[in-house]
Amino acid sequence: MRILTVDDSRTMLAMLRHALGGAGFEVLQAEDGQQGLDLLKNESVDLVITDINMPVMDGIEFIKNVRASGLYSSLPILILTTESSQEKRDLGRAAGGTGWIVKPFDPEKLISVIHRVLH
Amino acid sequence: MSDLDDFKATYFDECSELLLELEEQFAAIEAGDSTSDRLNAVFRAIHSIKGGGGAFGFSALVGFAHAYETLLDHVRDGKVDLTEPVVALCIRANDLVADFVKAAKDGVTLAEGYGSDEKAQFDVLTAAEGEEETLEEFDLDFVPVMVQVGPKTLPADPSTFTPDAAADHFDVAPLSPSDLGWLVRFVPQPELYARANDPLLLIRELGRLGAVEIRARVDDVPLLGDFEGMASYCAWDIFVSGDKVTRAAIEEIFEFVEGLCELDLREASRHELGPLTLPPQAAEVFDDGPSLADLAAEIKPKAPTAGQAVEPVAPPPEGAAEGDRRNGIHSIRVDLDKIDRVVNMVGELVITQSMLTQQMDESLRAQYQELVRGLEVLAQTTRGLQDSVMSIRAQPVKTVFSRMPRLVRELAVKTGKKIRLETVGENTEIDKTIIEQLSDPLTHMIRNSADHGIEGPEKRLGLGKSDTGVIRLSAEQSGGNIIIAVEDDGGGINRDRVLQVARERGVVGADQQLTDDQTDQLIFAPGFSTASEVSDLSGRGVGMDVVLSNIKKIGGSVQVKSWPGKGTRMTLRLPLTLAVLDVMLVTVAGSPYVIPLSTIVETMQCMRANFSRMPTGGQVLKVRGEYVQVVDLAQRFAMPTSVDDASRFVVLCEAEGGQKIALVVDGIIGQQQVVIKSLEENFQSIEGIAGGTILGDGNVALIVDVQGIKVSSGLAHKSAA
Amino acid sequence: MEALGFRDETSSEDVVSAANSLQLIAFSIGEQTYGVEITTVREIRAWNGATPIPNTRDFVRGVINLRGTIVPIFDLRARFGEGQTSPTKNHVVVVISVGEKWVGILVDAVSDILTVSRTDIHNVPEGQAVDNELLNGIITHDNRMVGLIDLYAVVNGARVDD
Repeated sequence: MRILTVDDSRTMLAMLRHALGGAGFEVLQAEDGQQGLDLLKNESVDLVITDINMPVMDGIEFIKNVRASGLYSSLPILILTTESSQEKRDLGRAAGGTGWIVKPFDPEKLISVIHRVLH
Repeated sequence: MSDLDDFKATYFDECSELLLELEEQFAAIEAGDSTSDRLNAVFRAIHSIKGGGGAFGFSALVGFAHAYETLLDHVRDGKVDLTEPVVALCIRANDLVADFVKAAKDGVTLAEGYGSDEKAQFDVLTAAEGEEETLEEFDLDFVPVMVQVGPKTLPADPSTFTPDAAADHFDVAPLSPSDLGWLVRFVPQPELYARANDPLLLIRELGRLGAVEIRARVDDVPLLGDFEGMASYCAWDIFVSGDKVTRAAIEEIFEFVEGLCELDLREASRHELGPLTLPPQAAEVFDDGPSLADLAAEIKPKAPTAGQAVEPVAPPPEGAAEGDRRNGIHSIRVDLDKIDRVVNMVGELVITQSMLTQQMDESLRAQYQELVRGLEVLAQTTRGLQDSVMSIRAQPVKTVFSRMPRLVRELAVKTGKKIRLETVGENTEIDKTIIEQLSDPLTHMIRNSADHGIEGPEKRLGLGKSDTGVIRLSAEQSGGNIIIAVEDDGGGINRDRVLQVARERGVVGADQQLTDDQTDQLIFAPGFSTASEVSDLSGRGVGMDVVLSNIKKIGGSVQVKSWPGKGTRMTLRLPLTLAVLDVMLVTVAGSPYVIPLSTIVETMQCMRANFSRMPTGGQVLKVRGEYVQVVDLAQRFAMPTSVDDASRFVVLCEAEGGQKIALVVDGIIGQQQVVIKSLEENFQSIEGIAGGTILGDGNVALIVDVQGIKVSSGLAHKSAA
Repeated sequence: MEALGFRDETSSEDVVSAANSLQLIAFSIGEQTYGVEITTVREIRAWNGATPIPNTRDFVRGVINLRGTIVPIFDLRARFGEGQTSPTKNHVVVVISVGEKWVGILVDAVSDILTVSRTDIHNVPEGQAVDNELLNGIITHDNRMVGLIDLYAVVNGARVDD
């Protein structure tokens, strides 16, 4: 199983890689939405975890673009961010996000959510 | 747990970068440039600091960052105006965030309520908003939905999407074509090709006219066995739209191929172009070869001709390169140790190369010309390699300059003076090691300017100056050096006071007369401090002599120039890189010494030099109408030489402040590049010696400290007088 | 290097318990034998000249290039105030780590590796100022007196103005 992680924070990417890699997932990394899209062109993934606040292309735009491409209508996308306002949440939902995880995340919970989404 | 430590290290690295970015962004915002890009970047920086901090449980940091982030969010959304006090509050908040980060890093707890004033101000500013609701940790109730996004989606029938085509749409610029335009049916005849015309060029011309969509008609392409080399099988339907598109304009493009092709031109709506379908036999044609899609991908950058889906050609293709670059990784992180290992090896390579070159005497040169040529190439390549490696280590001085605004703010508060910091040339690059060594000297110099240079606001107004003093920090590259200057528009150095203190402390003899420049330089004398009352800021038991010794340690020099009543300028001259030095190799008493080429003005034989003896017994050299102090290095180093005076050499050097000194050496061997090695690593610093280096033959040569010899010789003179 | 005689390592007659034992590299200066703890020795090499350093005491023979780093060489004979050694290719430089630094000491020859007991170390008798300053203690081995060199003391005071 391959998971694409998109976050502009190296810390967060490293922690995600650790948590996901430890659970046996293959992890791809991108530092903003655009990089994420570029990666998706050439790589197939089973799940995407993305931050919202990122330079170049933010998470909302990223999700919209992924959905708009028509290729990934069933690709689960989890939004991982500290943003906790209802407004942002609605934006994420409207853009096509599958779910929402508030950071800091508990690695075990994260993994269990991922398994639920994937099965 | 070591993983956690790794993450923390990454986090703190990231924090310093983000804090730096905050400092930069706010410098621009303070100057009135508060674009939404900047505000977003600022928000993201704090957001990331908070996010990572949360992961490690740095609750004090997170609490403060959260409140600050909320303010920034309001500013970003225009709910809070970015007035001057708000900007000031933000800048103060950045400093506090830096403090919180540092405390977290050092594992210390800041005083209870640290930053609570600022936090209270954030809350007041953002109070209008109700308490935000907290969400559950995770929430899966979203249903994945397909969303059509504005102009980025193409109205074409989804069934026409091929994977490649769909993916391509991501970096296609938003398209705003009118649905009406011209439909060009273009069927080249074999004659067109026979006359070396290229359909691609014609289609590109159309692309310059307006937006272009193309369908290749490949129905007529036969199976490979029936393929005739000179035949023409391909045709194109091209839809062109845009303001400039007229029948005449299109006909002009095809004027040259008139009669060589079938051309059908009519006004049409875009959908008449029809969807793209790959003819089934296309796959058969290339049965054993690459797929059509592969070919299309390959030729995509230049030829929108075959197998390509709806490919709008935007009139000016600029900016495409940037988009392409985004696809690849353009930076990697490398451990500094690894780079240093490369730097060291390249250093050794430089030495070996120069040794090889030295070994080539005339007879060898004549005999082995190929070898000589090879060595020349090696020398060039080595030099290039060295430059490249050094550029990897180079960093903009911004990393250290950016720490200074905070310092100046603090100094302004503590001294009650009004001070503005201006920085110039922050992007000047210099070796990382040198940058690391710059922070302390610059801090000292700026403190000195704030403390002793800039006057209080009332005094300044009384003098007809603006009440706000200016400290200008600048960096520029000048030849093989980086010049960093700290200037202020304060009162200048109080020379009477400096001289008085210097005489009291015995730094200067009672009857010794100094020029203004020499007096100014005294502020760098060891243990020297002129502040009448010891100030909290500069008077910490260390004076400007620390600046001098730090800068000398990294092979640089310091110069000060002062204009009474107008200001002071301190200039640091630093080597671009620590590792390699161009030197002249000389001998003194049978031992090799090297003198940095950058200090040497000229060399001459002693027999041609015009020496005169001073009444005190010292020698001076008259050169171009100037009397220059002479130092015999053999004598100076107390190493007897057997070389007779007439066949020795004078190396005329320029020390700091343009003061010259003539060094007498036994012999001159030549110029070369050396790698500087520390004497202190295994031994200690030696007066008159700036370090060591290893020559091509494996022996150690010592580097002459021209400035040190000039200074100590001056003192020796004084005590003799 | 030819000067090194590591082959007879086990020739030591007494087997001293490991915890209490001390291995020394012994070297000679004239008739006198000195030793340093073997764990501090980094390398032993034949004398091959050194670049003199100005403004240092006579016991600083200069600096050498040890695989790219500059290492100072101390003339132990001169350090004991017995005049400078006139070194030949047969003289030996023992490279020793002193704290963070590596230094070389110039001696006449490396003679032996000794295993001794810590309890056999005697204090240096009062009165001999130079010995007192430069030795940590003395040991009797095969009826020879071996002075234990205080490396920090040897290195100190190298500059003329120190």
